[in-house]
Amino acid sequence: MNRPLLTLLYTGMLFLSISGLSAQGKHTINGYVKDASSGETLIGANIYLENDASYGTVSNTYGFYSITIPDGKYRLIFSYLGFQSHVEEVNLIQNMAVNINLSPGIEMQEVVVEAKSEEEDDNVESTSMGRVNLPVEQIKIIPALLGEVDILKVIQLLPGVSSAGEGSAGFYVRGGGADQNLVLLDEAVVYNSGHLLGFFSVFNSDAIKNTTLIKGGIPAVYGGRLSSVLDIQMKEGNNQHFAAEGGIGLISSRLTMEGPIVKGKSSFLISGRRTYGFDLAQPLIAKTDFAGTNYFFYDFNTKFNYQFSQKDRIYLSGYFGRDVLNFQQQDRDFTFKLPYGNSTATLRWNHLFNDQLFFNLSAIYNDYQFRAAFEQEEFAFDVFSGVRDVGLKFDFDYFPSNEHQIKTGFHGTYHRLTPNIVTGNAGETEFESSVKPKYANEFALYIQDDWKISPWLKINIGLRGTMFQQTGPYTSKITSDSFGSGEVVKTYSSLEPRIFVNTSLSPVSSLKAGVTATTQYLHLVSNSSSTLPADVWVPSSELVAPQRGWQYAIGYFQNFEDNTYEASVETYYKSLHDQIDYRESFVDNSVDQVEDEFVFGEGQAYGLELFLRKNRGDINGWIGYTWSRTERTFPDIENGRTYPATYDRTHDMTLVTNYNINDKLTAGLVFIYATGRTYTPLERLYLIDQQLQTDYGPRNSLRLEPYHRMDLSLTWTPKPESTKKFKSHWVFSIYNVYNRKNTFFTYTDFETDLEEGTATAKAYKVSIFPILPSITWNFKFQ
Amino acid sequence: MRIKYSILISFIGLFLLTSCEEEYIPVRSGDGPKYVVEGYIEAGEKPFPPYVILTRTLDFFSEIGPEEFNNSFVHDADVRVSDGTLEVTFTEICFSELPPEIRNEVATQFGFNGDSLQIDFCVYVDPLNQLNPQIGKTYDLRIMTNGDLITASTTIPQHVPLEDIHFQAPPGEPNDTLAALRVGISDPPGVRNFYKYFGATNGSNYQTSFSSIVEDLFFDGKSFEFQLYNPATTMSDVEPDVFGLYIVGDTISIKWTTIDEAHFDFWNTLEFSNANQGPFSSYTRLQTNIQGGLGIWGGYSVSYYDLMVEY
Repeated sequence: MNRPLLTLLYTGMLFLSISGLSAQGKHTINGYVKDASSGETLIGANIYLENDASYGTVSNTYGFYSITIPDGKYRLIFSYLGFQSHVEEVNLIQNMAVNINLSPGIEMQEVVVEAKSEEEDDNVESTSMGRVNLPVEQIKIIPALLGEVDILKVIQLLPGVSSAGEGSAGFYVRGGGADQNLVLLDEAVVYNSGHLLGFFSVFNSDAIKNTTLIKGGIPAVYGGRLSSVLDIQMKEGNNQHFAAEGGIGLISSRLTMEGPIVKGKSSFLISGRRTYGFDLAQPLIAKTDFAGTNYFFYDFNTKFNYQFSQKDRIYLSGYFGRDVLNFQQQDRDFTFKLPYGNSTATLRWNHLFNDQLFFNLSAIYNDYQFRAAFEQEEFAFDVFSGVRDVGLKFDFDYFPSNEHQIKTGFHGTYHRLTPNIVTGNAGETEFESSVKPKYANEFALYIQDDWKISPWLKINIGLRGTMFQQTGPYTSKITSDSFGSGEVVKTYSSLEPRIFVNTSLSPVSSLKAGVTATTQYLHLVSNSSSTLPADVWVPSSELVAPQRGWQYAIGYFQNFEDNTYEASVETYYKSLHDQIDYRESFVDNSVDQVEDEFVFGEGQAYGLELFLRKNRGDINGWIGYTWSRTERTFPDIENGRTYPATYDRTHDMTLVTNYNINDKLTAGLVFIYATGRTYTPLERLYLIDQQLQTDYGPRNSLRLEPYHRMDLSLTWTPKPESTKKFKSHWVFSIYNVYNRKNTFFTYTDFETDLEEGTATAKAYKVSIFPILPSITWNFKFQ
Repeated sequence: MRIKYSILISFIGLFLLTSCEEEYIPVRSGDGPKYVVEGYIEAGEKPFPPYVILTRTLDFFSEIGPEEFNNSFVHDADVRVSDGTLEVTFTEICFSELPPEIRNEVATQFGFNGDSLQIDFCVYVDPLNQLNPQIGKTYDLRIMTNGDLITASTTIPQHVPLEDIHFQAPPGEPNDTLAALRVGISDPPGVRNFYKYFGATNGSNYQTSFSSIVEDLFFDGKSFEFQLYNPATTMSDVEPDVFGLYIVGDTISIKWTTIDEAHFDFWNTLEFSNANQGPFSSYTRLQTNIQGGLGIWGGYSVSYYDLMVEY
């Protein structure tokens, strides 16, 4: 990190913290907010004074809060959506720790009246923009494809987020590419978040506590991707008593076990999920020529934590998941094996230096591996690619006063990116592609202050400084110089300001505006309409510059009827620089160095998003609507013609509703309508070698017909009143209720007989998911 | 080598059970047709005379008949090829203008049965082979038609012959009626080499196989052995267990060629485009070396290998 940048960041931090140091006659209340039934910490809980909500704060990622207020007697309210609020009477004459356990359930009437429901207007009060928090309970009641609850598919129902394709867990945010989303699982980057070509995500909802999507104002604490942050936290494990939950579905079955190791102090969580469709079919497959063929995927999540004291606790969490495809054809002596997947591990230490200074140290490891191996008699062919990161992260949360909440920290990562390395043999001859893994260091230093300037004006100002070094071993493609291990080949750096302003127009409405600068040093360029497991991540290097982006957003936020309804209108403009695509006529032979096939260009995206959400009542849910444009311009693609990106959607509307019919029955409905995907049309035919070939028109110049679909679900709990430890419920769902045939892909089929002078040319549209009912049985033991 | 393709094939079966397809008519371009050049120039063993087929693209019709094909030929163009010192103007020959006995012979050369040919096939040729193409030389094509200029350039590279050609039993379950063809080459080190082959069975015309091209990315400078598919058994309608194999007892001929990079890129994009349709794949524009049109002007250095299918 260069010296001026360091100086700037830390001067800023000192300046901002001065007001905190001068807090005389004030004391601090701090502690953790937890779920009373499980001991899980609650992220984003609101803590504020009953008589003056301008004194308030929000619990951080670890459930910790700290609030510094003038001495006196107060009623302090703790609230969290879906939990009963808690009022704590405090007589503040010295710093004090207050740990609060909230019980799941509806609001206490007393608090609703007295506190005027201030607890739920975080969307209006906070400086954050384009940020949506989804507790996993909300995700679980939304209808799911084949009953498989999927976090990534639920976030696609939010305005500004679109799906990569029918049934896909891949997503695009505000005109950014699929690789421009930072997907974090307990702080570890997940490089490929899809199973089965992306139809299902790798996140087992039983092991997940909380999901936050940031599509607009990315705070300085996050970086490394241009478009969005999807921050997923795993459950910590129940530290009160042993509990288990699981389910049996059409696609997979799940089992999660959790419980205290030392009650109240330490807990564990183990969670697994596996598909079994092909396992059940094995007896049938064994009788065919394809005996030995199988496909399955699985996920394994685990987490342990230990609280040494009020000041120190550690967490160790891990994820391991794989897709495994084995294809065998006996009479051709052919085998094809395709295992791929992620593993992540995070070790965290939380430490309270004092009542106002919270510290977290994380050691993070993640590894994505892809392998494809073919074998037929004397010929063998093996492709391997992957990304492995080892990182260290320091974060300080400093709560100097009610006016300031400062976060600062450092993040360093060592990357190893393995492109498609091919090895194989044809008889005695062995061959190996000449491409080698690439290595890089990535550093980031950030500081941000959530600053309440006045009761009506808040600002979140942040700066993130980043540096990226391509390192050896490497031989330059430009100068042919050789670089030894760790030797720096190329350095890039960037200063990324992040500024968000919130102006309160009334207690229930606010106007927000923000500017976000982002830099992305790792890239995944896909030649397909969606990303695939074989797509390769490449680092910025002497051949590839980092992608850079600026986003400007402005939004109006208003809550109605005691915060039963929340509404927002947000508009954004994004400029994207050094965007990457494959050159025209690129042929993916999976062995070349892909950087040689890249071309570079610019992009822009702009749009308007409307969001109306009903948080309470027997009928709740949301409506989202997005109008947007996403364009790309590459000098080397069609001579610089500006074209709409593959994921450009003019209109995108979603309706998500839940209806609590009675204690036993809950119904869910999802409706989606979106402008058709762009595609490159075939325009002409011509003969080569007496066969018809296709001449394509301009890139993405036509659209498929609009996409729309409705899904329904019904959750039936036969004995809701049961006091037994074992409880179960059934989920019946129907995907694509009215059997809409949404085009998934198109293809052509030509038959030419030039001698006869005849040819038939057929073009087809294929849709994949018709009406699909499913049934899932879920249970809980606690 | 087409890894993604193979993966997709394997996965897609999982979804085809529920899929549904519908025919549609693509929107026609308002920009009119484009010129298409398909021309080759050969040197080496038994070279075929250089020729150029000049056509216009066809609109997308679900049924195309002889009239559309006949109308696609561009007539009376000025087609010239130069090797830098000698420039030869090619002569347009339409099969309908030839005497029947010559017509049949010429049609056979171009892969047709003259008796049953339903279209009036037209081609620009150097009938006297005045150019006398040579390995190592570059040949520039220049076409003027209706005021439009079309140009291209190709080089006939040094030839790398096949060394060891033999048949062996196909992989998998024993089968004494089918055979796999194995060939070896000694790839010259330090230069990029591009290869393409054609196959003929029992005196038929030479056909292009599925996966007919290879470059030396893996085996630069090495002696390398690999399998050559039988073009006749790589059609889409053959059974998977005979795919690419030869039938014992047949007589086959392999036309083995070395080509330049642009020529390879054309076939590489063509084969990739044809094989790589379906979900997740994007369109592939065929990479052409023609300025002012589509298609290929390609040089070949050629050798032939005739043998009986036996092992």
